[in-house]
Amino acid sequence: MILTRGAYALPGTSLAYKTGTWRLQRPVHRHRAAPCHAACPAGEDAQAWLARLDEGDSQGAWESLVSANPLPAITGRVCHHPCERACNRGQFDQPIAIHAVERFLGDQALANDWPYPVSPPSPAAPEVAVVGAGPAGLSCAYHLLRLGYKARVFDALPEAGGTLRTALPPYRLPRGVLEAEIGRLLNLGIGFEPGVRLGRDVYLDDLRRQYPAVFLALGATRPRPWDVAGVVPAELHQGLELLKEWVSVGELPKADSVAVVGGGNTSVDIARVMRRIGVPEVHLITHRALPHPEVPEDDWMPAIPREVEQAQEEGVVFHPHTGVRRLVLRGQQLLGIELVKMKKLVQPDGSLKRVPFEGTEKVLRIEQVIPAIGEMVDPSGLESLLGCQEFLLVDAWGRVAGISGVFAGGDMRFGAGMVSIAIGDGRRAALAIAAYLQGKEPEAEPVKTIAYEQLNVNYYDHAPRAEPTLLPVAQRVGFAEVEGGLDTAQAAAEAARCFSCGSCLSCDNCWNLCPEPAVLKLPDEIPGQVRYVFDYDYCKGCGLCARECPCGFIVMEDEA
Amino acid sequence: MRQALEGSQAIAQAVALCRPGVVAAYPITPQTHIVENLAKLVADGKLKCELVSVESEHSAASVVLGAAAAGVRAYTASASQGILLMAEVLYNIAGLRVPVVLTCANRAVSAPLSIWNDHQDSMAVRDSGWIQLYCADNQQAVDTTIQAFRLAETLELPVMVCVDGFVLTHTLEPLDLPEQAQVDAFLPPYRFSRVLDPHHPLTLGTLVSPDDYTEVRYAHHRAMLRALDVIPEVDAAWQQITGRSTGGLIAVEGPEEARVGILTLGSVFGTLADARQLADAPVKLIHLRSFRPFPVAALQRACQGLTELIVLERAFSPGAGGIVGAEARAALMELEHPPRVHNFAVGLGGRDVPLEILERLLAATGSEPTRFAIFDVDLSRLPEEER
Amino acid sequence: MSTQEISLEELRQRQSRFRGLEAGHRACLGCGQALAARWVLEAAGPDVVVANATGCLEVFTTPWPESAWRVPWLHSLFENTGAVAAGLEAALKVQGKTAKALAFAGDGGTFDIGFQALSGLLEREHDVLYVCYDNEGYMNTGVQRSGSTPHAAATTTSPAGRARLGKRHLKKDILAIIASHHIAYAATASIAYPEDLKRKVRQALLITGPTFLHLHAPCPLGWGHDGSLSVEVARLAVQTGLFPLIEMERGQVIGVMPLRTIRPVADYLKLQGRFGHLFRDDPRAREELEHLQALADHNIEVFNLRADRPDPADSEGADTVRRGRRRF
Repeated sequence: MILTRGAYALPGTSLAYKTGTWRLQRPVHRHRAAPCHAACPAGEDAQAWLARLDEGDSQGAWESLVSANPLPAITGRVCHHPCERACNRGQFDQPIAIHAVERFLGDQALANDWPYPVSPPSPAAPEVAVVGAGPAGLSCAYHLLRLGYKARVFDALPEAGGTLRTALPPYRLPRGVLEAEIGRLLNLGIGFEPGVRLGRDVYLDDLRRQYPAVFLALGATRPRPWDVAGVVPAELHQGLELLKEWVSVGELPKADSVAVVGGGNTSVDIARVMRRIGVPEVHLITHRALPHPEVPEDDWMPAIPREVEQAQEEGVVFHPHTGVRRLVLRGQQLLGIELVKMKKLVQPDGSLKRVPFEGTEKVLRIEQVIPAIGEMVDPSGLESLLGCQEFLLVDAWGRVAGISGVFAGGDMRFGAGMVSIAIGDGRRAALAIAAYLQGKEPEAEPVKTIAYEQLNVNYYDHAPRAEPTLLPVAQRVGFAEVEGGLDTAQAAAEAARCFSCGSCLSCDNCWNLCPEPAVLKLPDEIPGQVRYVFDYDYCKGCGLCARECPCGFIVMEDEA
Repeated sequence: MRQALEGSQAIAQAVALCRPGVVAAYPITPQTHIVENLAKLVADGKLKCELVSVESEHSAASVVLGAAAAGVRAYTASASQGILLMAEVLYNIAGLRVPVVLTCANRAVSAPLSIWNDHQDSMAVRDSGWIQLYCADNQQAVDTTIQAFRLAETLELPVMVCVDGFVLTHTLEPLDLPEQAQVDAFLPPYRFSRVLDPHHPLTLGTLVSPDDYTEVRYAHHRAMLRALDVIPEVDAAWQQITGRSTGGLIAVEGPEEARVGILTLGSVFGTLADARQLADAPVKLIHLRSFRPFPVAALQRACQGLTELIVLERAFSPGAGGIVGAEARAALMELEHPPRVHNFAVGLGGRDVPLEILERLLAATGSEPTRFAIFDVDLSRLPEEER
Repeated sequence: MSTQEISLEELRQRQSRFRGLEAGHRACLGCGQALAARWVLEAAGPDVVVANATGCLEVFTTPWPESAWRVPWLHSLFENTGAVAAGLEAALKVQGKTAKALAFAGDGGTFDIGFQALSGLLEREHDVLYVCYDNEGYMNTGVQRSGSTPHAAATTTSPAGRARLGKRHLKKDILAIIASHHIAYAATASIAYPEDLKRKVRQALLITGPTFLHLHAPCPLGWGHDGSLSVEVARLAVQTGLFPLIEMERGQVIGVMPLRTIRPVADYLKLQGRFGHLFRDDPRAREELEHLQALADHNIEVFNLRADRPDPADSEGADTVRRGRRRF
């Protein structure tokens, strides 16, 4: 190097010195699933579609959403949204109102007739039989289409929708939304055979012969039998039956006082229906606790918390941690029920057992008791599969053990019971069917989530969660929908609250905070591409970028 | 135009003729009149420049460093303690090869406190890498000041013009002040090759490793040696315009055949010249105008044929002896017949150098050469143990 | 455009910000000063001339023949930065140039050895923005205490031992001294709040005359924390009240960054090795902790830093996240 007068140096010549040689650790971009993604039974990546919406692309957001769940207008209304309980923002202020934004996008798609990002199947594609046109069956058919297969859906009823249609009260899911979303789905080229009942019009063996694979999604349509010490009152009507009747007719015979037994969605729904038809006194008896943050979640009654809340607003009287000990009968006539406080307690062997507490008995005078303690699979046509089980046993991909080419999901398998679970079952089964047809194992979907502690929340501002408006209690009559939707501004604000856990927010923090600087920014923003590049020639591996990344998208790895 | 001016005023006028962009100074006797005169010129609108009245000599040197690096001609003046307070910056300016001009109104260095003239201040910074030119009279002070800018800017080295405090700075003398047109013809507009300019953003003042430090210092030394050629060239160019020469590296007066020479710096030269004329002594007077760079060859030439050389200087290195004397002696050792060197410190802290000194000096050459002595020490005034 | 279509060298040339301080400099991992200096120049832009004091910033950016600077830059000495900048400014003014003179110095070069030149610069009203990068000690020479070292911090010349617990004296209130020069603008800023920092640089540059920025820039080496924590530590200094972010005009406080959530000083101190001795089981250590808490509380009171309630207009002073238009 020729010496310069007074040893001056030329600008920017430090680039000749590669400080990257100092590095012991290197930062890398690592996408990790947001907790909402891992928590979604349907497999939605809410973080991803909230990001699209935050970019101002609501149609793109919807397309991202329906890559997992084809029924967002429906699930946005009826899902129990475990995503929101998982949302990291809940530890900061309040979780993102994911369900409300989902509904907003679903409604936008209906209003604007956005086409599903699915091309019609080729005529030569293999066709898969799907039995049951409820959420699981429709989801499976839709995902088969996405994977390039044809699907033929059979249902005993004249119209598609399954439980969504028969047993979901329209004040939660208006008929118009149901019709529109399912109609658009079927129009994608799914073959639909209504009025075909398994075990009557068609048999599983025939389907197995005619189709290379069969997905069973017949739901759990039979109410679980109920009695109290072997005694049942005369004129006993199951909650599910009454609910179906009200949904289809809009009217029910009315008593002056009713006790609904059970803590699931059906019991809450029928209790609310009872209020809607004008029953002045409606009780709900459940062994479990009311959903409350301070109560362990596994003790919560299984109904959706916001439905419980709305039922309370509507005047349903809840009796948590309570069981029915005895029917108070005069002859065949029901005078009331004897209740007792009970709780789930740990037994010496570690199991949990409901223990009634002597001395807490009381009699509730009511005219009608409506059991709604759950549903089970109608075994017709499935006898060989069910054996003596109430539900089908399947693996995580919906594969029915021992019968190749038969898959099942939704309410008919053990552990389901929610719309979004059914949709997720249908999606995973479609992937498993595609793999099966290609003679492969389905690929596992590892979902490693990112914890609150891995974010840097210093960069987020507190902002209140958008709460949908609720219909005033006085106006909650008939089928009138209780929950309102978000407007565009609210949905955008909600998307802007998202922490973007585990995904780059393009916030420039790494670019800005690198002391070298060894983080470079690409000139254009390209969807799906991280905008920042680590220049390892100069990165010393200090870890500042990883530490200050709000989203936890950068991790430090040891150099080899 | 010939006029009677106080030395400081003349120097200030000379500086103004060079059109400096920035003048920075901190007051210290006997430099004050120079800066006061410049301030008055600025106040009267006769000189358009930024006059920065800093809070210390350290800052004065720092301001002119910054200003010269940022593209304007810059000037400062100081003396004594001020030069020493600047010392760190002086080294820095020189090492950065920044062309600034400084007038040192030479004064003794405290303690003991003395405001009077000697050369201890400029001698203290002789190794700082500055060119040091000494002036025998105020005409030379004017001419040297103007030449200093051209010299500095040609070589990109700082130049210290050494003018004896009070003896010259506060003395009224008739002298020729050049016309502005003459100075403009002689001194091109300021140019600094490494100017700090956002369009060509250079980095000045880097950290230099042991691998390169020696070469940077060598380059500085070479530039100083190159000044041995440039100083006479600049003086010749000045002579072409004004008809006056300051002698370049070394000025010699007296008969060519003289066997005794006296080497000195600054205004003592004038005293000796007067004494020589009065006594009509066969002595060659040699004025060491350029102390840095030290003009070895020119000195050897000037001393050809001498048998005795008396070195008179107004500073010394306690515990060692004369500074100029030691250097002259070393330079002349290379001659085939070097003169005997007699070295004396005179005129310390403003003590008068009388005319009769010449006679006494010449007398001293009769005996063994004095390696070094302080002239005229009155031992009787010292306590026994310090005689 | 992706990294397949553009080389990193080319991409570096095309960054959408002024690159006043380039990579390849030799600052320690996570150096707060390197960050701060880059941001100052990003905000100031290319039309500047910099005078830089002796110190880490000078050393790690200019090992000849390399320079990390892309602005005209001059390092002279340790204590004369104010004066060199004054000379630059005088020269620029005489030449009618628009470039602004900046002075960069550390806390030693500002609070201590360079204080006189700085005071002169302010008094003479040179049009210079003086930036003090405060890492609270002589870090370049190996972590010695300076006039800016906080009370009770351990340095190599104020070590913690059996008889003494770090520095005995207080951190010099430099801003109050600066403010007493009656200058048009003086402010504090922190590397934890880059947008605020850059705004203050721009604000200062709008003013003709001397302005002063006091930038809190952690030194991982000297403070004893991991380089990845530099911003976190700086943020806690602000959020505890130990380093209030304030703006002053003509000596009057005209703006403060309010603190919505005030953190206890221990949160800040325990991240740093230099305060490690304050957490030992020793009544004097507890006393010193209380003392530091009292100093923070004093700042909060004097500068009225407490924000009563969430205010949508104040984003906790935070540089809240910028949300890209297109995201991964």
